[in-house]
Amino acid sequence: MSNDETFAAAYREHYWAVSRYVARRLDGRSSDVEEVVAEVFTVAWRRRSDLPPSPLPWLYGVARHCLANAVRGYGRRRRLLDRIGNDESAHGRQVVDSPDSASPGDWVHEALARLSPADQEVLRLTAWEDLGVDEVAVALGCGTRAAAMRLHRARRRLRAEIDHMHITVAGGTASPRRDTPKEHGHG
Amino acid sequence: MADELDILRRANPVPSTDPCFHDRALDPYAERRLNQLLYGERHRTSPRPLRRWLWSVGTAAAVGVVVLTLTLSGSTTTPAVAAPRPLIVEAGSTPVPLDQLADRVAASAGSQRLVQGTHVQTWSMGLTSGPGARPPITLPAERVVRWKADGSHTELVVATDPRHPGKPVLTDADPVPRTVEDGHVLSRQTYPPSWSDAPPVARPPHEAERLRAYLEEIDRTETMGTPQLLDAVAELLNNWTLGAREDAALVRVLADAKGLRPAGAVTDRLGRQGQAYVYDDTAHSARRMLILDPRTGAVLGIEDTVTKDDPEYGVKAGDVMSYSAWMR
Repeated sequence: MSNDETFAAAYREHYWAVSRYVARRLDGRSSDVEEVVAEVFTVAWRRRSDLPPSPLPWLYGVARHCLANAVRGYGRRRRLLDRIGNDESAHGRQVVDSPDSASPGDWVHEALARLSPADQEVLRLTAWEDLGVDEVAVALGCGTRAAAMRLHRARRRLRAEIDHMHITVAGGTASPRRDTPKEHGHG
Repeated sequence: MADELDILRRANPVPSTDPCFHDRALDPYAERRLNQLLYGERHRTSPRPLRRWLWSVGTAAAVGVVVLTLTLSGSTTTPAVAAPRPLIVEAGSTPVPLDQLADRVAASAGSQRLVQGTHVQTWSMGLTSGPGARPPITLPAERVVRWKADGSHTELVVATDPRHPGKPVLTDADPVPRTVEDGHVLSRQTYPPSWSDAPPVARPPHEAERLRAYLEEIDRTETMGTPQLLDAVAELLNNWTLGAREDAALVRVLADAKGLRPAGAVTDRLGRQGQAYVYDDTAHSARRMLILDPRTGAVLGIEDTVTKDDPEYGVKAGDVMSYSAWMR
């Protein structure tokens, strides 16, 4: 297959996976996702001679750079970070007063948002894009050992954040339950 | 207790079964985009302007509303909408090299203490492109973050422009853009306790080498050059108000950065005297100006200016894209 044919096949196979990757980092704003994905594949088209045999992690890496370069390139860092999910304040993530009122996942996102952008990304790639360590390494442009180390540290930090939020997960569902102090009995 | 990755998996905001983004054949738009890439513009059947998402920030409709508001309401007190001009280096002023400033600050044992939280005034430009695009608008806001002893913190954001006290202020944080009164509260939030040990929430060190490592950890997605360093500094200052020791360490880190050249004295947007240091980011047609307090070395502000016209977005060389001024 020529480079063009290989690119077209990758485009058809992975268009929606890349769309999901972008949507997850744009807080579900579907109106913007389409345009960002177009940008990702435009960059990928220019670099189509670099497409590896398993192109999806590589495409995630292109998407990641599109987001990061865009942020850096135009000095719009803060406002764009709001969009790619690295800034908890701009998301209006307020204190969740009652677990019952929180939509599923809110508290997990809150814990995730407290980590560094690098930690967040390695965790997202693993949990949401379902990449193995080798693939995470491709997406992040680092070695496998470095990726494994980053993931290990990020998991530890996420664990600590979750623990500190005093949240337990009941019955294997995504519904959080905040631990409440037990009252001491009188005998 | 469930594995943290399992917990995170269950909180996937866009699962593979998502109704908008599940796997399926390409839709007409995606098919058209592929054809454009493969065969060029001649195959484009229905032109669709590719708004550069990074600039737009969703303000296309918003700007229209602002313009209508200003036109139809006949507001007598028109807010400033033109892109502010960059700071001007005072003619004849003597630039102070960063090395020299770092030595001076290190020698002067200041008494300011490190405080978790921030107080920052920002001006951010909102842009649109494509048919019906409107001129850029600048959105001023003041943000105060204060931490409490129990590890929780509060954030207050108000619309205000200290250069035009009492005048209406543009905002798009509602999210519909409109003018609001000076001092209008855009958001007031309280966050639960956090014990994160990751920068920028973790306490910043006050030794230059360790501070540099700290800044690098804020965003480790790629090697930290000077633009990335300036981004990381802004992130740090959006979380912490540095003390004298941290200021001294930060000036040393900045002195070691490549490409930051001393430009001379400036008066910042809050009327404070500062020394300007400029980094020309030619790759992105931008100029980044760092403004430091010449006595304490504290970062007073960072100004990002476009250096090349971009007619698609109505941006001209010299327009300030963003400006942050940090205060105690």
